[in-house]
Amino acid sequence: MDVVLASLEPLIRALREGGHTVVGPTVRDGVIRFAELSSAADLPAGWRDEQEPGRYRLHASSGPAEVFGFAASPDSVKRYTHPPRSSLFRWIEDTAVETPVEAPRLALLGVRACDLAAIAVQDRVFLGGRHPDEAYRARREALFLIAVTCSTPGGTCFCASMGSGPRATTGFDVALTELADGFLAEPGTARGRDLLAALPHRPATEDDREAAERIESTAAARMGRRVDLDGIRERLVEQRESPLWDEIASRCLMCASCTMVCPTCFCVTTEDADDERFERWDSCFTLGFTELGGEPVRSSGGARYRQWLTHKFSTWVDQFGTYGCVGCGRCVTWCPAGIDLTEELRAVTEEAGTRDVTTQGTEASATVSTALERLR
Amino acid sequence: MVHRTIRVGGLTRVEGEGALLVRARDGRVNDLQLRIYEPPRFFEALLRGRAFTEPPDITARICGICPVAYQMSACQALESICGVTVDGPLRDLRLLLYYGEWIESHALHIYLLHAPDFLGYPSGIAMARDHRAVVERGLALKKAGNDLVAAVGGRAIHPVNVRLGGFHRLPDLRGLSERLEHALTLALETVDWVSGFDFPDVEHDYRFLALTHPDEYAILSGDLPGFPVDEWPLHITEEQVPHSTALHSRLDGRRGYLTGPLARYNLNFAKLSPRAREAASALGPVCLNPYKSIVVRAIETVHACDESLRILDRYKPPDAPTVPVEPRPGVGHGASEAPRGTLLHRYRIDDDGLIAEADIVPPTAQNQARIEDDLRVLVEPRLGLPVPELTALCERAIRNHDPCISCSAHFLELCLEQ
Amino acid sequence: MKKLAVWKFASCDGCQLTLLDCEDELLTVAARIEIAHFAEASSVSSPGPYDLSLVEGSISTPEDRERIRHVRRISKHLVTIGACATAGGIQALRETPALLPVVYARPGYIATLDRATPVSAHVPVDFELRGCPIDKRQLLEVIAAFLAGRRPVIPTHSVCVECKARGNPCVLVAHGTPCLGPVTQAGCGALCPAFNRGCFGCFGPMETPNPAALKITVESPWYTERSESAG
Repeated sequence: MDVVLASLEPLIRALREGGHTVVGPTVRDGVIRFAELSSAADLPAGWRDEQEPGRYRLHASSGPAEVFGFAASPDSVKRYTHPPRSSLFRWIEDTAVETPVEAPRLALLGVRACDLAAIAVQDRVFLGGRHPDEAYRARREALFLIAVTCSTPGGTCFCASMGSGPRATTGFDVALTELADGFLAEPGTARGRDLLAALPHRPATEDDREAAERIESTAAARMGRRVDLDGIRERLVEQRESPLWDEIASRCLMCASCTMVCPTCFCVTTEDADDERFERWDSCFTLGFTELGGEPVRSSGGARYRQWLTHKFSTWVDQFGTYGCVGCGRCVTWCPAGIDLTEELRAVTEEAGTRDVTTQGTEASATVSTALERLR
Repeated sequence: MVHRTIRVGGLTRVEGEGALLVRARDGRVNDLQLRIYEPPRFFEALLRGRAFTEPPDITARICGICPVAYQMSACQALESICGVTVDGPLRDLRLLLYYGEWIESHALHIYLLHAPDFLGYPSGIAMARDHRAVVERGLALKKAGNDLVAAVGGRAIHPVNVRLGGFHRLPDLRGLSERLEHALTLALETVDWVSGFDFPDVEHDYRFLALTHPDEYAILSGDLPGFPVDEWPLHITEEQVPHSTALHSRLDGRRGYLTGPLARYNLNFAKLSPRAREAASALGPVCLNPYKSIVVRAIETVHACDESLRILDRYKPPDAPTVPVEPRPGVGHGASEAPRGTLLHRYRIDDDGLIAEADIVPPTAQNQARIEDDLRVLVEPRLGLPVPELTALCERAIRNHDPCISCSAHFLELCLEQ
Repeated sequence: MKKLAVWKFASCDGCQLTLLDCEDELLTVAARIEIAHFAEASSVSSPGPYDLSLVEGSISTPEDRERIRHVRRISKHLVTIGACATAGGIQALRETPALLPVVYARPGYIATLDRATPVSAHVPVDFELRGCPIDKRQLLEVIAAFLAGRRPVIPTHSVCVECKARGNPCVLVAHGTPCLGPVTQAGCGALCPAFNRGCFGCFGPMETPNPAALKITVESPWYTERSESAG
């Protein structure tokens, strides 16, 4: 079943010949970006990233030219399944004519386990309820997914804590693990198996599989961040009145970057241009999004940050049966103020065990000072 | 004794705010003032103490019609201080950006501001009621120019991509050639259209000022007539007049010279692109009739489209979008050809890399005295005409020179407070 | 037909030019609303009152202070277009008296106020359209909204929202380039980051700006050290 591919070139060529646009990581403007690949040479071989809260840098590696030696990129699969802006309908002679969904056949190469987990989360959001999103379904079904095991997680990664990585176990057509002399390739679907069978390959050996497992366990041990999920759902809800929310808001730019790069955030608004209505990404961090009857219901920054964090780790479970976070670390890296969700989660929920912060007055402000003290 | 005072309260279809005052006695014009009441905005003073990299973005805000001209003159003046020359494909990109502005600005002036005078309409929009296809052609041509500026500079008004040493990012020029081929066709049709207008039979003995370049119909660089750009402050001086927030210019001590399309055309005709020269065959190499400036603008638009196509054809992206520019103290001069004439900049950078002095002489300020001369000649024999008619004639004569009064409000004496 | 007027105060003309730059829509707009006063575009002006006045430029002379009051009196709705009219603009960076002698040899000829101020400092404003220059789509939205008697839908969130949607890399996080995007209102389409430079704030402060947080980011030692190490 599993095989070893010496090169990705035949894989890319076969997918292209099969009518797919192959999209994968490339180096552009100092970051790893998803873009169309015409050959394996477009892949970022030898590039490494460095990720910390509010900081991302890309370096040419002096070591071996690993093709996938970097962690999550600013792009997630969301850009393809749930694009930033899409047309809904157009008025033609007083009739609203629905815009046909554009769902090109895309092969996404280099998708990480956290991304696959995010797709699974979005599947529940868009397809799980009584009103499935047919545009999402069309785009989703047009995807051919080639996963890659993360060998070098970033400084902001915590997929191991979330149970979503670093190695994909489900949700892919083909999963790759980059070995010293090739790529261990496992099919996840019948079409994945057929594709692999048609490519030049050698059968995988037990050594190959062990090597892949070592890569996985080494990566799991090298996560830059972790979260403690034990009782998190309840602990967060209990902290609804915590003064820490406002303290976080004092450092937060309310720019919404975190929700834009989040692979599961799905909030949208509509906008009209000429005779056409569009759907576009919006965010629980914008005032307009929380408007009800002309007034924002979450007018304070603290309320908006609380909404986001609580949704990801608590109310999402109520709604969809999973966490809304997959541990990709994008919101931590791409926060211009370097706010670390894992740290804030810890700070807020640890308050639950240590003191009653729901009381008013001096005690509450003492808590803020304590929190500030800790942050210095 | 007959006293007559004519006031044109607010000039229309010009960019910016101005007015005209004529005082006459016994059939002679005693006083004629093109009044610039555009509120002054003190750009040269604002620039002092700011980083040497800032003038391209700040001076662009002097004029929303020709921001590229400000960016180009500023960049070249500052680069000359720092000992940097931008050439090859980066210079080509600058030319492309600038041609985009010429196309956009000329199309705006020809179709929406100037042509209505010849066809008897108060505006391009009113003209569109009877000549919709013509106005749509003008708007399409203008849009092609705007698209070119936006492709290279990021947006049509106040482009963001320009910086000292080149650009922030190499632009994506795909698809522009097709657009410009179409624009060239529209520009050629424009020449035919405006050539058929009825022109008053007037010629003036103009003294012209424009950049000249050995190989190009100068737009971005060259020499001024008889002196290099870095000597412009020795030849062009400015004086404040009570009736205007714009300073008046003198060339070698004499008032009343002309810069702009007529100046360029008469000085540099031989350097027009082949298509433009062909389009100019009916007009010929000399044009001293200010009303025919509309034809010259159309020919220059053909030139801009033609040259842009040539650049797009030869352009090979350079390795980097910019060449490094390090500040060093000194004085530098820059000049380029804004759609409405030569735009002169001069800066001094201090030891800390900050702007110590800035001096900007925009084309309309240079033309202001000459426009008054044109008007004097026009008005004196026609003092008997009814006021509305005379007013319309004056406005029309002013529009010949496409004054951009917004810019006229920002300029300063050479002697600065030390 | 409703009547539109366009007025100019201290400014560069770029925002009113934006109306003429709506090449594809200009004639359609002109068919739906009478462009009754627009000195840059037309030599006839029909008298007020006007249903919608678009005002460009800041107030910097005693005459203009009177003129804006007049404009307000003859306008049912007054909308400022652009940074100058909305916030004072680039000429509001410094106070005037110190600048006057630098530019003019005989400052006595020039009558100005001590500083350039936004229109809202003088008269009530119904809506402020941001930008230096304004965005043409947003301008059309404002005109359409006033024609329909509804509130214009102009997002007031940060540039980051547009920047991420456009797929730009964050120049602040990835390059260490100072960028005002997180505290600046969207509307430009995140133009500067798309051209590899930091936002410089053409659209003014976003709905809930937190400049202190941004200042901490760009001034903190960890930020600068890291930027340098990325060299």
